Amino acid sequence: MTELTIAMPKGRIFEEAYEMLIQAGFNLPEEVEMSRKLMIEIPEEKIRFILAKPMDVPVYVEHGVADIGIAGKDVLLEQRRTVHELLDLKISECYIASAGLPNTKLSEIAPRIATKYPNIAMKYYKGIGEQVEIIELNGSIELAPMIGLADRIVDIVSTGRTLAENGLVEYEQIAEVSSRLIANPVSYRMKSERIQDLVTRLKTCVK
Amino acid sequence: MSSIKMFEKPLGMRDTFPQIYEKLELIRTTGRNLLKERGYEFIKTPTVEYFDTVGKASAISDATLFKLVDNQGNTLVLRPDMTTPIARVTTSKLLKEKIPQRLAYFANVFRAQQQEGGRPAEFDQMGIELIGDQSVYADAEVIMTAIDLIKAFGITSFKVTIGHAGVLSCILQDYTESAEQAGKLNKLLVKRNYVGFEEAVHAFDLPKTKSDALLAYIEEAISLPSMETIERYVRKNDALEYMQNLLRILEQAGYEQYIAFDFTLSSHMSYYTGMLFEIFATGSGFPLGNGGRYDGLLEHFGSNVGATGFGLRVDRLYEVMPKIEVENNQVLVLFAADRFAEALIQAKFLREQGKQVTFQAYEGLIDVEALKEQFEVVNEFRSKEA
Repeated sequence: MTELTIAMPKGRIFEEAYEMLIQAGFNLPEEVEMSRKLMIEIPEEKIRFILAKPMDVPVYVEHGVADIGIAGKDVLLEQRRTVHELLDLKISECYIASAGLPNTKLSEIAPRIATKYPNIAMKYYKGIGEQVEIIELNGSIELAPMIGLADRIVDIVSTGRTLAENGLVEYEQIAEVSSRLIANPVSYRMKSERIQDLVTRLKTCVK
Repeated sequence: MSSIKMFEKPLGMRDTFPQIYEKLELIRTTGRNLLKERGYEFIKTPTVEYFDTVGKASAISDATLFKLVDNQGNTLVLRPDMTTPIARVTTSKLLKEKIPQRLAYFANVFRAQQQEGGRPAEFDQMGIELIGDQSVYADAEVIMTAIDLIKAFGITSFKVTIGHAGVLSCILQDYTESAEQAGKLNKLLVKRNYVGFEEAVHAFDLPKTKSDALLAYIEEAISLPSMETIERYVRKNDALEYMQNLLRILEQAGYEQYIAFDFTLSSHMSYYTGMLFEIFATGSGFPLGNGGRYDGLLEHFGSNVGATGFGLRVDRLYEVMPKIEVENNQVLVLFAADRFAEALIQAKFLREQGKQVTFQAYEGLIDVEALKEQFEVVNEFRSKEA
């Protein structure tokens, strides 16, 4: 059996995905120590997990240092990397939406959009024929309309609570997001049996 | 004047240092010998071509072309691949002299990039083009040559995945309701977005038999246990028969262990009208190369004789092949002014024996010991006067 390297996003998605792998019949220890370790070896299954920032998972997979990985559709849409999208795991479901202060319109000259996802935002506004300027932020995007940095934000919404607490309302839904199983194109061919087996087994656990 | 940027190079450009250069030379010689043995003739085309002629016809997307303007205002491109220039020169000239043409190249090509490392903007490609033979044997020859070439470099863990644009489009047409739907599915397959494919199939609201067939097909066609499996999905057609022939030939020649069929394989280029393949090897995250039949490109240049071929990326080849040891044959001959003639005779003698002799005067050196340390063999002709 060939060795399989899986890139996983740290945090909640890791736990959910790990749980799915156990359900799929993989012989993994019940508890993994998630301290500061960046690599977890599972010799029984010849699997190695590498723990990465969610935004970095497609990077590892595209370069082939990880054979497969679990990445949010938001990250895939934003980065457009050359990876195969094999399976929708239907975990951490949410969506990308635009939001802003209630009852506001886009400013007439050069409306500004604050976002962690400049490519997604640009593509969306181009698509609806709005000329906008993008301001890239790394977090706490909700601040931008509140203090007048931007007219709208484009961000992930799961419950809408953060938006509401900061006095923002949702305007348009842009894309559905969930976690996807992705594969490196070369690994997909060279380790096709293992990867196909994993896909088939995981498929039965997708709710 | 702005300060010179000594360490910086334009994005994606690489220096080839002496040690690497020697290894690339070895790759080139190995490849060249193998291809010449099969009657392939090497060809060189200009680095710069007209955008209208080569740039537009090339399979490489417009955004990654290096463009410049000549003094008449024509847009030029640095060649992004070798297939298009070779198609240009064969259709305009070579086919009148001999048909079919078997041509080979080892050349640098250029693709501008705006992204991170691991994607050189200039790299060597090695490949062949077989132009003017539309038989299945030409396609088989191209695949077999690609496999032999990879084996010649000592690569053992690799796979050639073969598909056919005709088989795929037949299935997509049969199981969808419109050309638009078929086109959309094809686009998703180019990106290998299987999740998107499934979603699209559900969204089309097709009759259940059709959507079930498509979904089952996509699952099976990715890793076909045998050619017979696919026959369940496709009505009998020329493309399928062609592939059965191709498989039979490759089996007769004993190449079946290196190949796999994938009838979801699709290219963003509409020129690939027939058989197409991709080459993967353990050790690199990116494909080693690809190839296929591109009759459509030749038609673009006004010829209908058909063409097939492949190209390998030398930089990736280098990554996956076993480490090359270049023989160290170097000798240093150091001499003082009064023993120049004597040292020269010795250097000549050593060169005749096949050594690579560095001939260096003491008086030209700042640090004699430092240079000596670089060599395993040193012949010294010290001054007799001292």
